[in-house]
Amino acid sequence: MKLIKQIIDDLLTPMLEDFWKVPLWIRWALVVVTCAATIPLAVIYRARHSVNEKPRIHIIQNMDNQPKSVAQDGSEWFNDGRIMRPKIEGTVARGDMAGDTHFFMGIEHDEWATTFPTTVSVDKAFVERGQDRFNIYCTPCHGATGYGDGLIHVRAMTLVETGANGTSWVAPKNLHESLIKEQPVGQLFNTITNGVRTMAAYASQIPTEDRWAIVAYIKALQFSQDADPELVDGSASFPQKNTQGGDE
Amino acid sequence: MSQQRFTFPQWTNLALPAMAIVGATAPLYVAIVVAYGFSPDTLDVGHMPEQPIPFSHKLHAGELGIDCRYCHNTVEYTQHAAIPPTETCMNCHAQIHPQSEKLEPLFESYETGMPIEWVRVHDLPQYAYFNHSAHVNRGVSCVECHGRVDTMEVVYQHETLSMGWCLSCHRNPEPHVRDPKLITQLEWGIDMSEEDRKIEGEHWLDVNHLNPSQDCSTCHR
Repeated sequence: MKLIKQIIDDLLTPMLEDFWKVPLWIRWALVVVTCAATIPLAVIYRARHSVNEKPRIHIIQNMDNQPKSVAQDGSEWFNDGRIMRPKIEGTVARGDMAGDTHFFMGIEHDEWATTFPTTVSVDKAFVERGQDRFNIYCTPCHGATGYGDGLIHVRAMTLVETGANGTSWVAPKNLHESLIKEQPVGQLFNTITNGVRTMAAYASQIPTEDRWAIVAYIKALQFSQDADPELVDGSASFPQKNTQGGDE
Repeated sequence: MSQQRFTFPQWTNLALPAMAIVGATAPLYVAIVVAYGFSPDTLDVGHMPEQPIPFSHKLHAGELGIDCRYCHNTVEYTQHAAIPPTETCMNCHAQIHPQSEKLEPLFESYETGMPIEWVRVHDLPQYAYFNHSAHVNRGVSCVECHGRVDTMEVVYQHETLSMGWCLSCHRNPEPHVRDPKLITQLEWGIDMSEEDRKIEGEHWLDVNHLNPSQDCSTCHR
């Protein structure tokens, strides 16, 4: 205590007295500099706690941006602004030749193929792959169980009611309709590949083999909705089938 | 007339302690400004460029539940998770909102064949070769690097994407890997305790024989 008192009396008090004799402009300058020093801190704080639409500040370049192009870059070299070049018409890229009409088009002897191509093996893993792909590419419209009640369909119906921006909508097909159940696998494959009526073609989004997997899964899905309960172990204790359909 | 000698006023004695204080605080101040100001947390995170079309991931991926891979379908096969072509948008928008003003650039692109000029949000240094397929096929979810895109009205950069940040996961992958079937279920695991999440991660590391590399040449070639 004594030491602290001594420091205050002998050192700080005279310093404070001196301080009040410092010319006023210097004291003001001190205040201004101290305040200004908080501005960078405030800017940093704000930048760390908000989003910003402006381009990034990139101070040290470190070869981060190089005079090369990566996938989907823009380019001033070509008229269409793309660095990636579209296929030249009339050419076939390696591995893209659709020689096997059964595998690539679902056609066998000028008719819809009724069997899966020999290049795919229809087993449990294949059907599960189909389920995985179906859930990505088909459920938005056709719904997880294929009754044509996907969330996009639901959304579109509300938009049609309000007439938003000229929305028109043709309901996606219920995959359990007898007309679709009777379709040969080749025709289902063709529908996925090339689209039909208002449904778009999915050949560019889904690889060929995966499209066959989806066909296999659709067949399994159709079978499951109309299957004999006896086929499933413990089926006696299951709840009754919903004859209305549409509910999961 | 005697020449008057200049004497320093007494207050100038404060110069020495003042210099001591400035000498001590200024380096600290500069260190703080540089360390925080130049960090990718400050400069890169939160980058949210304006896009030519106000596409909402919150609506499409969130409310409508469209899988990430419906549009970014190359993510499982290639290094680059492609921005979808105009045709993918038109799968639905040929019928839904076909007269929308906001979608004008989309319809123009569809008619002319010119690309929509989407702005890249996540931009790695060009000497870093990140591969999307290598990660998603091993059970690293989109959410680990991109955040909850399904809740973002406008997509922004959620993580620093700095090398230190990459390595933090490569050194400690347990809380970041999951069942590869669940990579696009962004909300999966958020209500798990840290302990459970780690156990789950360890399980999938084991099942898929994962051993994240820390070699320079893995990403820099």
